[in-house]
Amino acid sequence: MSTDKPEELPSEEELAAMDRDGLVELGNKLDGVELVEYPDPWPVKGTRAEKRAERQVAFWFGLSGLSGLAFVAAFIFWPATYKAYNEPGHVMYSLYTPVIGLTLGLAILAVGIGVLTYTRRFIPHEVAVQQRHDGGSNELDKATILANLADAGNRSTIARRPLIKRSLAFGGGVLGLALTALPLGSLLRNPHAQSSNKDGLLHTPWQHTSKDEKVFLRRATGYAEEVSLVRPEDMDAGSMETVFPFRESERDDHAALVKVLKRGDSPVMLIRLRPQDGARVIKHEGQEDFNYGDYYAYTKICSHVGCPTSLFEQRSNRILCPCHQSQFDALQYAKPVFGPATRKLAQLPITVDPETGYFVSTGDFIEPIGPAYWERRS
Amino acid sequence: MTKKLRARTKMRRRIAGLLALGIALIGVGALYSVLVPEPQTAQAAQDPVMVREGEKIYNNTCISCHGANLEGVKDRGPSLIGIGEAAVYFQTSTGRMPAVVQGAQAKKKPPVLTPEQVDQISAYIQDNGGGTEMPAERGEALQGEDPARGGELFRYNCASCHNFTGRGGALSSGKSAPALDNVDEAAMYAAMLSGPQNMPRFSERQLTPAEKKDIIAYVKSVTDGNNNPGGSPIGGLGPQSEGFIAFVVGIVALLGITLWIGAKA
Repeated sequence: MSTDKPEELPSEEELAAMDRDGLVELGNKLDGVELVEYPDPWPVKGTRAEKRAERQVAFWFGLSGLSGLAFVAAFIFWPATYKAYNEPGHVMYSLYTPVIGLTLGLAILAVGIGVLTYTRRFIPHEVAVQQRHDGGSNELDKATILANLADAGNRSTIARRPLIKRSLAFGGGVLGLALTALPLGSLLRNPHAQSSNKDGLLHTPWQHTSKDEKVFLRRATGYAEEVSLVRPEDMDAGSMETVFPFRESERDDHAALVKVLKRGDSPVMLIRLRPQDGARVIKHEGQEDFNYGDYYAYTKICSHVGCPTSLFEQRSNRILCPCHQSQFDALQYAKPVFGPATRKLAQLPITVDPETGYFVSTGDFIEPIGPAYWERRS
Repeated sequence: MTKKLRARTKMRRRIAGLLALGIALIGVGALYSVLVPEPQTAQAAQDPVMVREGEKIYNNTCISCHGANLEGVKDRGPSLIGIGEAAVYFQTSTGRMPAVVQGAQAKKKPPVLTPEQVDQISAYIQDNGGGTEMPAERGEALQGEDPARGGELFRYNCASCHNFTGRGGALSSGKSAPALDNVDEAAMYAAMLSGPQNMPRFSERQLTPAEKKDIIAYVKSVTDGNNNPGGSPIGGLGPQSEGFIAFVVGIVALLGITLWIGAKA
């Protein structure tokens, strides 16, 4: 725009005498804009149509406000606590989500419609034409802008001041190094610092902390603080039960009882095979005494990427993983027979405690459970 | 006189001996009936009329696959000895039995047998080998008090196959876990007890009757259209379908509004 300025600029007196319309026109002219059409939407003031349009906009804004208030009220007072469908209050509860959604949605929508209506009814719909040049900048502009930039660099004298350059490199370098080195350095932690205890990769909460500690198999009953231990006669042939480790020392420790149910590496599938299937079992070398009769305990954590593999088919004796369709054969030490998993599910050694008659584990898994990691050999 | 006396004492001894023998025999008999346990296999409580009617139905509808003596037929159907009335109730009341074709698993279909016939055939099967029995309650009486706890138990024991809101899911080799919509309470209870097809069994000691009822209450609260506060369950599969619908509908709506605003300006 710098090259095609209007020839005649108003003097100071003329500027002072100009009204608002004149100033608007002058400004447009300086930008090369010409208003072809600039109608007043309501040329006659105070008509009934104009009043109606005004009321329309006010209606939408008002509706938005009321709906917003309704949203706040519903959010605070509407019953949001879960009610089963056969309990009183279920209808009100089930309307909670729709009600807060509708009221908030209506509040936002009404503001939008109000703004749109206002724009359409009251803002003039002008038609403007603006001149613009073709192609890139001309040679003169290019040469002068380059000279300007070079001059600024030269005048700053940075090229002649090594102290400033070096101190800047130092300051900037340290900051940059800190930003990259700290995240990278955190990767240098020893991942096996905890390997010998139950919080490490190699072990699970089934690990015995002392030699004569009894780790019982505990079922989940829906109440985390309730300790329900498993006896062999609790399970029918062809059944499966998810069990978690329990120690007598944790009986009154609410936090520990809850935590063990939530830990990713504690769930174990206790499976009782049907007698005719139990007779066909092929055991893994070195794990021949890990089962108790027809009762086998395998980790629930898939050896592929660690999903819970608890789809047990009691007739085909397959254990399925729902994430990637791996299948394990419960009759052959839970070795993978289909899908992406390549390692067997780790087997927990179990027996029955002669004193109490409950199942106990005789030790931790003898191999890490779950997916592979880089130091793992198999 | 001594002769007479001797004869009388002889007579007395004989009578006393007979009496003693009689008392001893009665005593042994009574002891036997008290001490010897009830036979484990036969259920004496079954109504003989029901059993006879059940046998007739069995001979008409089941015998070709399960054999004349419930011993099963190779490659057709398993033995039914000892399966119990819970298994019979589940399989026949949901129409899975009598099966129409041999397949990966029998599918649910409109029941062929009437409820009365189901009870009769249950009595017949129960009379031949016993097995797991059904609870006395039916219908809503099998819904527990605490569906929230039932939900916890459902997620521990059932959700891996049946999906966390009972939508069902795929199993191996063409089998599948069915969706739990429109399944009556007694059929659910029977399924947990008997472990039909590839479903594991849940004995009354593994999941107590109260726990089973809580699970049924939970299932009922999330199936049969009871879990769509938004109006439509969109498959009930959680964030995938909901996100997809929100994205498609939302983007199309936004596009439409944009075009409309552009056309009006």
